[in-house]
Amino acid sequence: MSKRYQHQQGLIAQFISENRGPLLVTPALAVLVLMNIFPLLWSFGLSFFKYRANRLNEPEFVWFKNYIKILNDPNVWDRFQTTALVVSIDVLLQLIVGFLLALLFQSQFPGRRVLLMLVLTPMMLSFVAVGAFFRYYYEPTFGLLSQAVKAITGERYILLATPEGALAGVIFADVWMWSPFVMLLVLAGLVSVPKHLYEAAEIDRTSAWRRFWTITFPYIRGLLLLAILFRTIEAFKLFDLAWIITEGGPGTSTETIAIYVYRVAFQYFKTSESAALGYILLFAVIVLTNLYLFFVRKRAAEEDA
Amino acid sequence: MAQLILDGVVKHFGKIEALRGIDFEVQDGEFFVILGPSAAGKTTTLRAIAGLEKLDSGRIVFDGVDMAGIPVQQRGIAMVFQSFALYPHLTTEQNLAYPLREQKMARRDIKLRVQEIAEMLGITHTLTRKPASLSGGEQQRLAIGRAIIRQPELLLLDEPLTNLDAKLRHDMRAEFKRLHRELGMTMIYATPDQLEALSMGERVGVIIDGKIVQIDTPADLYDAPYDRDVARLVGDPPMNLIPGTVRRNGGGPSLELPFLHVPEADLRNSLAPFEAGTELIFGVHPQDLKLATNGETEASFDAEIAITEPQGDITILDLKAASEVLQMVVPEAEGALHGAGEEIRVRFNPRDGRLFLKDSGVLVV
Repeated sequence: MSKRYQHQQGLIAQFISENRGPLLVTPALAVLVLMNIFPLLWSFGLSFFKYRANRLNEPEFVWFKNYIKILNDPNVWDRFQTTALVVSIDVLLQLIVGFLLALLFQSQFPGRRVLLMLVLTPMMLSFVAVGAFFRYYYEPTFGLLSQAVKAITGERYILLATPEGALAGVIFADVWMWSPFVMLLVLAGLVSVPKHLYEAAEIDRTSAWRRFWTITFPYIRGLLLLAILFRTIEAFKLFDLAWIITEGGPGTSTETIAIYVYRVAFQYFKTSESAALGYILLFAVIVLTNLYLFFVRKRAAEEDA
Repeated sequence: MAQLILDGVVKHFGKIEALRGIDFEVQDGEFFVILGPSAAGKTTTLRAIAGLEKLDSGRIVFDGVDMAGIPVQQRGIAMVFQSFALYPHLTTEQNLAYPLREQKMARRDIKLRVQEIAEMLGITHTLTRKPASLSGGEQQRLAIGRAIIRQPELLLLDEPLTNLDAKLRHDMRAEFKRLHRELGMTMIYATPDQLEALSMGERVGVIIDGKIVQIDTPADLYDAPYDRDVARLVGDPPMNLIPGTVRRNGGGPSLELPFLHVPEADLRNSLAPFEAGTELIFGVHPQDLKLATNGETEASFDAEIAITEPQGDITILDLKAASEVLQMVVPEAEGALHGAGEEIRVRFNPRDGRLFLKDSGVLVV
């Protein structure tokens, strides 16, 4: 009896030692499947049914009806346009600001470390905190922006009242929050340039402009592409900041596609339709990502040639 | 014209004194070699001349003009870095053309000049490739090409052969001499390798611990090293340094080595300035030691072979004589006759030897 028990003990120990890797990964995988992969597949299935989460009706299989409906919905195309506008301006500004910050922090100056930490802080704050902060910042009666304008013109300034102002407000907040991310990547590139190349360029009497384009830029090009990729995907999904600052208003002028998905899902309760729209969104991001990767690979291939 | 004078150049890096007063002059068109062990200050000296390091004190004068405050770009100096510092994202052609682009030279002329230099250095076939795909020798040639393409008045070379293999080094040494003759430009060449220094330099400045200790022609450097440190640096293998004591008993002064007694008359120097008991160092090149045959009149002593190192044409013998370890160089045919552990008799002409003071290490003249 006891011999058999020992034998079993030995088998378990052997099993554990032989499968230590898979066993260690299992809990994390389980959580991932439960929280991410299962809902993902479930909602994918749902997008082919007619189903509303706030009704008791049985889901009805409708093939691609939801997709057809959404692609023919002018609202969807309008939100896509808004999103495209936000993404292009937002990412461009982040690149410019991030780049300038990186150039600033590349050199050593007193207080650099402290300043660098302050500049990196926005990135670490939660979206809700940043959103709330900017909502108060733009607030008409006691908001800082309005007060500042009032001190000059004598009149209060309601930034979020006009579509353009609201867009600017949302974009400014996002740029403030994420430029440091671009800066970090660019800074990494700048630091990786071997110092002796600059010295050689100095001896070769190169102008600062040429030095930048022929020596510095090739080292940051890859990281810059990465920054564009990350920031574009993120900006494409922009929800929190816009929702908290403007709730998509005035009208629908700052209603990004992510906010629209939210409205369709949880305000209109067209659950299966929102799932379909969500998948269209996912598809768009995947296409975008692959487009970038394609260009990066092409570049790399040219480099090697 | 390109005459260069360094006058008391001092450079600190924090608490470390990299250059402790460097003085030397380089004449127009000269091939000047700075020889020194690693971390002696060779690179710092070149960088100071190029303007990449700010001096703490001293002057660098180029054709009568003090270079203080004159930026790197305006010094008319080119430099080949130890790491080559090729622009990794540009092709060979673009790398070569790089220094010309800023000179408002016509595109056609640049192309011609690039072609000319590439042909001269034998890298025409690499023009469309990037540095990473070039061999070490090709990278080296490219680095040189980029430095000489705009015909600088002064070319600085910082250990350019250190990263190459032995065969390439040999070829490139000849190449440098040829380039120097063809281009006629002033060159300053830093190296830790005595062979490079002796074979290429018209004059060699030995730098040790941030100070130039000797400037001489290669022959004089080999013959009469300024002190013990220089003697250890020059020659392959370097000079044997043997402790000796001056003796004065009876028949005139003599030098007592651990394994041999050498009368004053046989030595190059007079022992008159030294009291009895003065400790000196006797230096003799391994090439000046010979295997003794019977009936020799020269000084000779017994030694035991510790190791033999055949090198093809010659063999280096590591000897133990009394308590001393010596090295000698013999032709391969002779070396082959002897093996480790064997007792041999070694002869030499004491007149070929040099005396150094024990305390300061300085050569006795």
